[in-house]
Amino acid sequence: MIYLDNAATTRPSDGALTRAKYFLTDCYYNPSALYHGGAEAARLISEARGFLLGQIADPALFSLVFTSCGSEADNQAIFSAARRGNAVTTLGEHSAVFESYKELKNRGVEPRFAPLHADGSVDVDALLALVDEKTTLVSVIHVSNETGAINDIAEIARRVKEKNPRTVFLSDGVQAFGKIPFRMTKDIDLYAVSAHKIGALKGTGALIRRKGYTALTPYIHGGGQENGLRSGTENVFGIACFLYAAQEKFATLSEDAKRLETCKERLWALLDKDLFMRISPASGSPYILTVSSQGRRGETLQRMLWDMGVAVGTGSACNSKKPHSRVLEACGYPASVLDGVLRISFCPSNTVEDAEAAAKAMNEAARAFGGV
Amino acid sequence: MEKVIIVRYAEIHLKGKNRGYFEHIFCVNLEKALKGLRHELRRTSGRYLVAAFDEADAEEICTRISRVFGVHSYSKGYRVPNDLDGILEAALRICPASGTFKVDTHRADKRYPMTSPQLNAEIGARLLDAHPSLRVDVHTPEHVVYLDIREDGTALVFGSFEEGVGGMPVGTSSKGVLLISGGIDSPVAGYMMAKRGMEVEYLHFHSYPYTNEQARDKVIELARILSRYTGGEFVSTVKVTHIQEEIHKKCAAELNVTLLRRFMFRIAECVARKKGAKCLITGESLGQVASQTIEGITSSNAVVTLPVLRPLIGFDKEEIILRAKKIGTFETSVLPYEDCCTVFLPEFPAIKPKLSFIEEEEAKLDVDALVQEALDSLERFPLH
Repeated sequence: MIYLDNAATTRPSDGALTRAKYFLTDCYYNPSALYHGGAEAARLISEARGFLLGQIADPALFSLVFTSCGSEADNQAIFSAARRGNAVTTLGEHSAVFESYKELKNRGVEPRFAPLHADGSVDVDALLALVDEKTTLVSVIHVSNETGAINDIAEIARRVKEKNPRTVFLSDGVQAFGKIPFRMTKDIDLYAVSAHKIGALKGTGALIRRKGYTALTPYIHGGGQENGLRSGTENVFGIACFLYAAQEKFATLSEDAKRLETCKERLWALLDKDLFMRISPASGSPYILTVSSQGRRGETLQRMLWDMGVAVGTGSACNSKKPHSRVLEACGYPASVLDGVLRISFCPSNTVEDAEAAAKAMNEAARAFGGV
Repeated sequence: MEKVIIVRYAEIHLKGKNRGYFEHIFCVNLEKALKGLRHELRRTSGRYLVAAFDEADAEEICTRISRVFGVHSYSKGYRVPNDLDGILEAALRICPASGTFKVDTHRADKRYPMTSPQLNAEIGARLLDAHPSLRVDVHTPEHVVYLDIREDGTALVFGSFEEGVGGMPVGTSSKGVLLISGGIDSPVAGYMMAKRGMEVEYLHFHSYPYTNEQARDKVIELARILSRYTGGEFVSTVKVTHIQEEIHKKCAAELNVTLLRRFMFRIAECVARKKGAKCLITGESLGQVASQTIEGITSSNAVVTLPVLRPLIGFDKEEIILRAKKIGTFETSVLPYEDCCTVFLPEFPAIKPKLSFIEEEEAKLDVDALVQEALDSLERFPLH
C-alpha cells in the first residue's frame, strides 16, 4: 500500500515506538508517584516538553501543556480566551476551531468568519476588518488541512495586535508542526499541535502558550497535572512517542520539505490535466496536494484507488461524513468540483516513485470511472 | 421457595392440534435467547418457568425474554408450595411494607380448598398483620400481589405483569428473504414478518466502490440488532455495481431505479430458492418514493414468482420511524452512508413507468449474465 493520506494520520514511526516502549512496559509508573519510577516518568515528560517547545519557540517565553489531541488544545484555547465581545476566525479552519466558534454564539460571544482565497488561505485584509476593540480572540489556521495553503501567521498576528493589542491570537498548527520551518513570535499567544500527524500516536496533542498570556483555564479538572491546566494522569507512553517522533522529524525537517516538494510537483506533473484540476497553491505546504477530478466522486475514486494499492484522502478525514468540504466550498468552488476532491498528503518516507505510481493509479481510476 | 420468571405465551393457545409444534419451537427460541446464562426452562400447563438462574442475571433474562416473539407477558416471582404459610412467605417478599395493596388470586386448580376471594382475604389479612402500615385498596392499589394456584400443588406469587412482544414464535411461519438496505424501513419490515413467526434471511445489495464499507457495516449492525428478535446468523451481500453501470450507460435515466429493483428482485428470488425461503420481504410503503408506486411495485413483481411481502405498505413514515425507535434500529439507520439506490439516482425518476417501456429498455441488457455475475459476488458476514 502506498499511503498518501498522511494529513489524516501518519504511520507511527518504528524508531519512536521502539524507544518509547520502555515507558509502556517497564517505566509504567504514575508520573505523580513520589518514588524513583514516578520521578523517571516525570523526567521523560519534562524532557519531551522541553524538546517539543524548543523546536518552535523560546522556552523562556513560552510553555507547553500536553493534551489528548489537537482538538482539545484548540477547544481549551478558544473557550479560555473568548469570553465576551466577539471572536474572529477564518472559514478555512479545522472543525475543532470552526465548530467551537459556532458554539461561542451559545455562550454569548459573537463569532466572525473571514473569507478565503481560492487556494484556501485567508483574506488577511478582510480578517483585519473584522477585528475591532471588542475582539477578544483571533484564530487563524497555520497550514490548511484541506489545501495545504500556508497563512503567514506571524505577520497576521502582528497586524492583529497592531489593531487591538488586547486580542488573544491562536493558531491551529496541526499540519505545520514538524513539517514546515517556523518559530513562535511574541504576537502569537497560543498554538495547537498534534502528535499523530508526525509519526507518533493518536491521543496526544499539546497547546503551546506564551507565558505572558495567563488567562488560560483548565478544560478538565482533577489531580492538577500539567500545572493545573490539564488534569488526568499523563499519557506517558504517548508523550514519549511524541518526543522521539519529533526528534526524528525535526532533525530532517528542511531536507524532507524540499524532497517532498519535488514528490508533490512530480505527482501533479504526471496527472492528466483533462481529468484533474489543482486546488492547492503553488507555494503551499510540500506535504499536501489537493486536486479535483470534476464530475467524478472523490469518495468513489478513493475506494477504487485503495483497491489499486494507493490510499489518499478526500478533504478532511474528520469531516468525511458530510457531503462537501465546508472549507473548499468557502474557497468558491462549484458542487461539481467539490464532489471530486482528492487530497494527497505525504510523509518523509514517501518517494518520488510513490508519487509516480499514485499519479498513474489516479489517472487510471478516473478513466475507469463508470458512474457519477 | 424458588425464584422464578413466569413466561406466558400469546396466540399459541389459539392453535388446535398443532399446538405442540408451536410450543416446541417457542421453547427452542426461548432456550436460544437465554443461551449463555445459567437457567432451567420448565414447561407447565399454559406457562413456562425460568428457574435456577443467578439473581444477578435476572434483569438480563427478563430483557431477553421481552424480545422473544410469542411471549405475551412475563413476571418475576416465586414458586412455593400451595399452603398458606408458603404463599405468605412469598407474598411478604413481593409486597412492600407500606402503601395500599390488594391480593388477586387465580386458581387453575379448582379443587383447592379455598376459593379465590377467600384466599385474597386470608393472605391480605396476614400481610396486614405483618405490616401494620399497609392499607387495602381493591380499586386502585399501589401494589398487587398476584397468586396463581397451579394444579401441581404449587403456587406462583408475583407482583406485576410485564408485557412481551406478542406475535408467533419465529420459525413457525417458514422463511423469507429480507431485502435490507440500511435505511429505516427494511429493518422494521423484517421485524414485522418475524413477529408473525417468519424466519428472516438478510440480503443486502451494495455498489462498491460507489458505496462504502461503512454502509455495509451499518447493515450488518442493523441485522445484528434485529437478530435479537428475529434470530438469523448471517447477512448475505451481493454486488450490483456492474448492473448499475450498465443501466446507467445503456438505459433511459428515469428508469435507473426501476430497472435496478427488477434486478434486485430476480437476484433475491434466486437466493431465496437456494436457502429454502418461500417469499421476499421489502420495506416498501406505497408512494413513499418514486419506485414505490403501484406501477413500480407491478414492475418489480413481474420478474418474480415468489410472493413479495410488504408489511409496511400502508404505513406512514412517522409510524415506521416510531416502530424503528422501539425496535432500536432507528439510530443506526439514520447514520449518513449512501446505499446503492441513491448512488445513481436520476434527477427525475419515472413515477409511473409503463411495463412495455421498461421491458424495451431492459432488452438492451444481458439480464441473465448480469444476474449470474451478481450472484457470484455473494458474500456472507456473520452477525455474532
